[in-house]
Amino acid sequence: MRTVPPVGEGMSLKIAIIGCGKIADAHVEEIRKIPFVQLVAVCDLEPIMAEQLAMRFSVSRWYSDVAQMLDVEKPDVLHITTPPQSHLSLTRQAVATGCHVFLEKPVALRHCDTEAIVASVVAGRRKLCVNYWPNFEAPALELRRLFESGVLGSAVHVESFYGYDLAGEYGMALKRDPNHWVHRLPGKLFQNVLDHILNKITPFLDDEQPLIRAIAYQGDANRADEVPGQLLDELRVTLHGAHTSAYATFSCHARPVGHCLRVYGTKNTAHVDFMARTVVLERKQALPSAIGRLVPSFLTAKDYMRQGMKNVGRFSRSQFHYFDGMRTLLTDFYLSIERDTEPPIAYREILRVSAMMDDIFQQVYPEARS
Amino acid sequence: MKVLVTGAGGFLGLHVVERLLAHGYNDIRCTLRDRAKAEGLLDVSKAYGAPQLEFCYGNLRSKADCARAVDGISLIFHLAAGLKGSAAELFADSVVVSRNLLEAVEAREGMPLRNTRVVLVSSFGVYGVVPLGRGAQIDEQIPMESHPELRDTYSQSKLRQEQLFWDYQRKDGFELVVLRPGVIYGPGGGAFSNRVGLQIGPTFFHMGGDNLLPLSYVVNCAEAIVVAGTHPDASGQVYNVHDDDLPTAVEYLRAYKKQVKQIRSVRLPYFATRMLASSLESYHRRSMGQLPAIITRYKAAAAWGGNRFSNAKLQSLGWRQLVPTSEAMATTFQYLRQQDTKQ
Repeated sequence: MRTVPPVGEGMSLKIAIIGCGKIADAHVEEIRKIPFVQLVAVCDLEPIMAEQLAMRFSVSRWYSDVAQMLDVEKPDVLHITTPPQSHLSLTRQAVATGCHVFLEKPVALRHCDTEAIVASVVAGRRKLCVNYWPNFEAPALELRRLFESGVLGSAVHVESFYGYDLAGEYGMALKRDPNHWVHRLPGKLFQNVLDHILNKITPFLDDEQPLIRAIAYQGDANRADEVPGQLLDELRVTLHGAHTSAYATFSCHARPVGHCLRVYGTKNTAHVDFMARTVVLERKQALPSAIGRLVPSFLTAKDYMRQGMKNVGRFSRSQFHYFDGMRTLLTDFYLSIERDTEPPIAYREILRVSAMMDDIFQQVYPEARS
Repeated sequence: MKVLVTGAGGFLGLHVVERLLAHGYNDIRCTLRDRAKAEGLLDVSKAYGAPQLEFCYGNLRSKADCARAVDGISLIFHLAAGLKGSAAELFADSVVVSRNLLEAVEAREGMPLRNTRVVLVSSFGVYGVVPLGRGAQIDEQIPMESHPELRDTYSQSKLRQEQLFWDYQRKDGFELVVLRPGVIYGPGGGAFSNRVGLQIGPTFFHMGGDNLLPLSYVVNCAEAIVVAGTHPDASGQVYNVHDDDLPTAVEYLRAYKKQVKQIRSVRLPYFATRMLASSLESYHRRSMGQLPAIITRYKAAAAWGGNRFSNAKLQSLGWRQLVPTSEAMATTFQYLRQQDTKQ
C-alpha cells in the first residue's frame, strides 16, 4: 500500500514579516497554521510596533531595520505588510537578498510601480504573490470550478460588490487620523480595497484593456466633516470587454455591509456571498408556466441548505476562520516555491488589476495624477 | 505656570481641565485631535472667569505635533491613550504617542528635565493580580504584570506605556507621578466595565457577582489626578484611584436595571466562568483561533477573581471624593437612560 505524504512534508521555509500594523496580525495567525513553515522574525521601522507584535504572538525575534533582519535571519519569504508607498523598494531589497515576496494589497501606488515590482521579482528569479485572499475562500474556489467545468457557460456580465464600514475597526483608523497613509494614496480609500473588487472580475473579463467608466461621490453629505479632506466613499465602475461586461460597486453606506459576486453566464448564473460563504446557482428553467415560477425558490433554498451544511462541515474541521482563504493562498504560494511551480496568482492578473485601478483613479481623482 | 493636558478632548480630559481650573491653574494648553472638542472645554472654562485655554490641534503620533505640545511646559498631564481598536492601534496611540511625547520633552532646549513634572494616567490593568489569588488587596505595592501576553490588548498597551515612562524617568530624571484609575465612569462613558460582565449577543453574562467594583467617578478621578499631579510629595509615586464607597458588581447591575432599563442577564459564578474560560481556551487552541479567546482562565482571574482595593495612599495626599457614589451612579444612569431613549 502506498501512502500519500502530507502536504509540505520535509519543507521548512523561513518566513519574516516587515510592517507590524493591523493586518500583520492576520498574516501571523495564518502563517502559524501552516505546519511546514516557520515565522522567524518580524520587523517595523517603529520598534514599539515590532516589539508588540512579537510579544503578543511569541515571535522570538524582532527588528526595526529590515536590512539587518534579512541579513541575520535569511528568510525564504518576506511578507510585506507595510503601506504601499514602500512596496517597490522593499520588494527590490528582498529580492536582492534572495527572498520570495508575499505582498499585502494594494500592490503599489501606481501601475508603473506594480510593473517594476513584477519585473524585479522576475529578474531575480524569485516568486511573488499578492494577498488576494477572498479569491481563495471555499465558495470562490467552487465558483471557479463551476465556471471552468462549463456549468455557467460563457460569462456575459459580472457584478462585484464590496461594502465597507467606516465605523468599523479599519474605517475608524482612517477617520481618527488625517495623516493615515490611506489618505495619501492616489485613489485614497478606494485604492485600499479596489483590488478585492476587480480581481474577482478579471478571470471573467479577459480583455487587456476593457473600456472603463468610473464615477465616485460622497454618499452622505452630513458625514463630510467626519472624514478629513475630500474622501469620496461611493464608487461605481462599468467595464466593457469584447464579450463580457462588468459592474464594480464600492459602498460605505449600503447595509448590511456586503461582499458578493454575481456571474451571469450563457447557461446559468452564480451568486457568491463572501460574508455568508455561500455560492448558489440560478438555473435556466425547463418547466412551463406557473410551475416554472414555483420551483426555482425551492431549488435555491436547497442550494442554501447544502451550502449551510458545507459550512457546518468546514466549521467542525476548523476551516471557517475569517482569513481562511489567506491560509489556502499562503499554502499554495509556499508550495509553489518549494516545488518551483507557477505561483497561485498569475502576474498578468496582478498587472491587469493594477492597470484598471490606475485608469479608475485617473477618472475619479484626476488632480492626483497631475 | 502653563500646564499641558494631552487628550483634553476625551471623556476624562475635559474634567481634568475643569479640576485644574478649580485648583487655580488658569493657563492650560490642551492637545486635541478633533477641533470640535474645543467647544466643550470653552463651555467648562466659562465658570472660571477668563482662563487662558490654548488649543494645540494635532495627532501625537506625529513627533512634530508632540514638540509643539510640550514647548515651554513644565507640568504635563498625559491622558491621551488608545481605548479601542486593534492591538496595533492601541499600541500606536498609547505607547508610540508616549515615546514621542517623552522624546519631545527630552529634546527641548533651555528646559531642565529635573524641573519638569510628568503626570501619567495609567490603569489598574497594569497590576499582576493573578498570582495573588482571590480576595487579595490591590494597593500600590503589587508588582506590575509579568505575563502581558496573557492579558487583553488594552492592558498590554497600558503596561508597556507605563514601563516606558519609568524607563525615561530613570534616564532623564524628570519628576514622574503615576495614577492608576480603576473603572472610570460617568456621563459620556460606557455602561458596563468588563468587571461587571460581558454583553454577548442579546444576553449580558454577569461574571462580576459580589466582587467589589473599583469605580472612579470621572469628576472624582479628575480631582485625584490634579491633587496628586500637583502635590510636592508625589514625585516618583504611584497612586491607585477609586472612590471610597464602592458597590459590588451585582449592586451596580441591579441599579442599572432599575434606573436605566431592564436587560436580560445571566449570572455566572466564578467557578462556572473558569470552566467556560477553560473550554473556550481549549477550543480556541484546537481550532487555531476559529472562535476568539475572549475569556481565558488568566483573563478571568484578572477581571473576576475578586479583589479588595485601597486608595489610602491617595487619601494621604489630601484627596477627597467630591461626588458620593450614590449621586455619581444616579447621574451616570440618568445620562445612560437619556442615551437609550435617543436610540
